[in-house]
Amino acid sequence: MSDMILRTEHLGVSFGALKAVNDVSLEIEKGKFTTILGPNGAGKTTYFNLISGLLKPTTGKIFFKDADITSYKAIDRIAAGMGRSFQLTNVFPMLTVHENIRLSAQSYSKVGARLFRSHRRYDAVNSKTDEILERVLLPHRRNALAASLTHGEQRKLELGMVLALEPEVLLLDEPTAGMAIEQVPVMIDIMRDTHQRGTTVLLIEHKMDLVKQLSDRLVILVNGKVLADGNPTEVSQNPEVLKAYLGGGVLDATTA
Amino acid sequence: MGSNVRLSFDKKPELPKLIALAALITVFLVIPQFMRNTQLIMMSRIFILAVYGMSYDILRGYTGFINLGQAIFFGSGVYMGVIFLNMQNDLWFFMMAAGSIFVASVIGGYVMSKIVLRTGGVVAAAMVTLALGEIVRNIAERWRTVTGGQDGLPLRFSRVALEPLFTTRLGAYYFAFVFLIVMTFALRAFVLSPTGRVLQAIRENEQRARFLGYDTQKYKTIALIVSSVAAGFSGLVFAVIVRFANTDYLSITYTLNALLITLVGGTGTLYGSILGSAFVTWIQNFLLDLNRSLGWDILRYPMLFVGSLYILLVIFMPAGLLGGFFQLKNWWDRKRLSRATDNTPEA
Ligand SMILES: Nc1ncnc2c1ncn2[C@@H]1O[C@H](COP(=O)(O)OP(=O)(O)OP(=O)(O)O)[C@@H](O)[C@H]1O
Ligand SMILES: [Mg+2]
Repeated sequence: MSDMILRTEHLGVSFGALKAVNDVSLEIEKGKFTTILGPNGAGKTTYFNLISGLLKPTTGKIFFKDADITSYKAIDRIAAGMGRSFQLTNVFPMLTVHENIRLSAQSYSKVGARLFRSHRRYDAVNSKTDEILERVLLPHRRNALAASLTHGEQRKLELGMVLALEPEVLLLDEPTAGMAIEQVPVMIDIMRDTHQRGTTVLLIEHKMDLVKQLSDRLVILVNGKVLADGNPTEVSQNPEVLKAYLGGGVLDATTA
Repeated sequence: MGSNVRLSFDKKPELPKLIALAALITVFLVIPQFMRNTQLIMMSRIFILAVYGMSYDILRGYTGFINLGQAIFFGSGVYMGVIFLNMQNDLWFFMMAAGSIFVASVIGGYVMSKIVLRTGGVVAAAMVTLALGEIVRNIAERWRTVTGGQDGLPLRFSRVALEPLFTTRLGAYYFAFVFLIVMTFALRAFVLSPTGRVLQAIRENEQRARFLGYDTQKYKTIALIVSSVAAGFSGLVFAVIVRFANTDYLSITYTLNALLITLVGGTGTLYGSILGSAFVTWIQNFLLDLNRSLGWDILRYPMLFVGSLYILLVIFMPAGLLGGFFQLKNWWDRKRLSRATDNTPEA
């Protein structure tokens, strides 16, 4: 069992009568690239909110590295090695790109609570920040305010901020959301690169075509429930999934 | 997201800047020699209220937290100064007062953070701090044996006082000026420290700061403590200048003074408070003088003018004096840059 890094057992949450996440039991294998696919409102983001500690579940449990973290606060989950990005860009708008990433690198280096010594004099933080800037292809935007970036650049920054935490498990919520189509392959490359460095990735996506090659495993989430789960070829040929695709058109498989 | 303008000196100090700073300091070391007592007093007040403004900026400008009870710490500093120096006015008793106000501010800031940070949201926190401030002021007003109640507590200099620092206006000027410089460097170091950076992150987006692994409550507590200590110290030095303590210094009026100083100077700039303090203190003094010489009744309500001026300032220079300067500079830089890169396509 030790190669399971993250596990949810009968995890669920309700908003009034709506069961946004309904009895989801998944085991995420260490080092694997797992993608959760599903239509709008399927409960994907809510599932991440439960795992990352933004929301309290109404049912079920979450295990991270064999510890029951269901009652952990968000920061304790991050300290344990979890990192997440947000579907809606969630950065520090009036700080520069460099400062945004540096805050994250600073947290990773655990020098956050130091007083009275200039933040510039922490070499490990600075080099980490530069490394991440390179990885997300933003060195040329280093001194731009986050608020002044294009949407695509903000998505890269959003990703860079979580990468700088060097989490063991990376939860990525639609990193390509709203990006220009020609920018998408760049994001895919960054994700592949991160995975190849040994990080366990749990990705939320909308479009199957984008992630079929990238993923070791696909999980289809519909109405808060797991509809299908397995390797990408199997899942994409699963009749129920195909029905969901073609019938209701809930998953936009046709758009490349 | 507001306007895309940076409001702080975050770059490394360069040589020309250091020279300019040295020149400026020299000027302020020399000019008091040519000043009358009233001018010396006004300058000293400007210096001290600048530090008080900075203490407020740590919370409002850097952390994004509105404390309407800041005067608790300032006023306590004034009282502590008067009470200790009335026992014996020398540097030793001043140091003891400083030690006491340090301890009191650390504890007070911590307690306040524990109370305030339970409330959700900026507005609720502001209301709670307002209530705390009023409670403290009320207690001080009732506790006549210590505070002198509404009559206040004058600082009595005995003839054996050895410290020209305290007894001459010139000495006090230098004392206040050195205080300003020391505190400016200390608070600058604080905002530039990793902790200071986290405070900015909290101001910008607290939730994300948490998701980067920062215990934001802990950082807000640190900010409150640092701010309280700085406010307490400025109150203490203020006692030497005004030679009097009363409950006004504990009241919302003095909190609003700090708020105005940061508003006028520019929030989140730290140094803006120096300009803000100069402006606010000067204008209040000016109106009082004008009232004295002209005797116009309406001038007896200086806040009428000061208030309108602030409103104008907030409308036309929302980023404050220093903030406005940065905006101009930014605009100028961008214009220059866009001229230089006109032919290159945007990356
Ligand atoms: N805090 C909340 N309160 C009430 N309802 C919520 C809340 N968060 C999500 N929901 C609802 O739960 C359902 C699932 O939302 P969620 O954001 O998880 O979907 P999603 O799969 O991420 O969709 P998308 O692809 O659009 O991002 C939606 O119907 C949504 O309206
Ligand atoms: Mg979502």
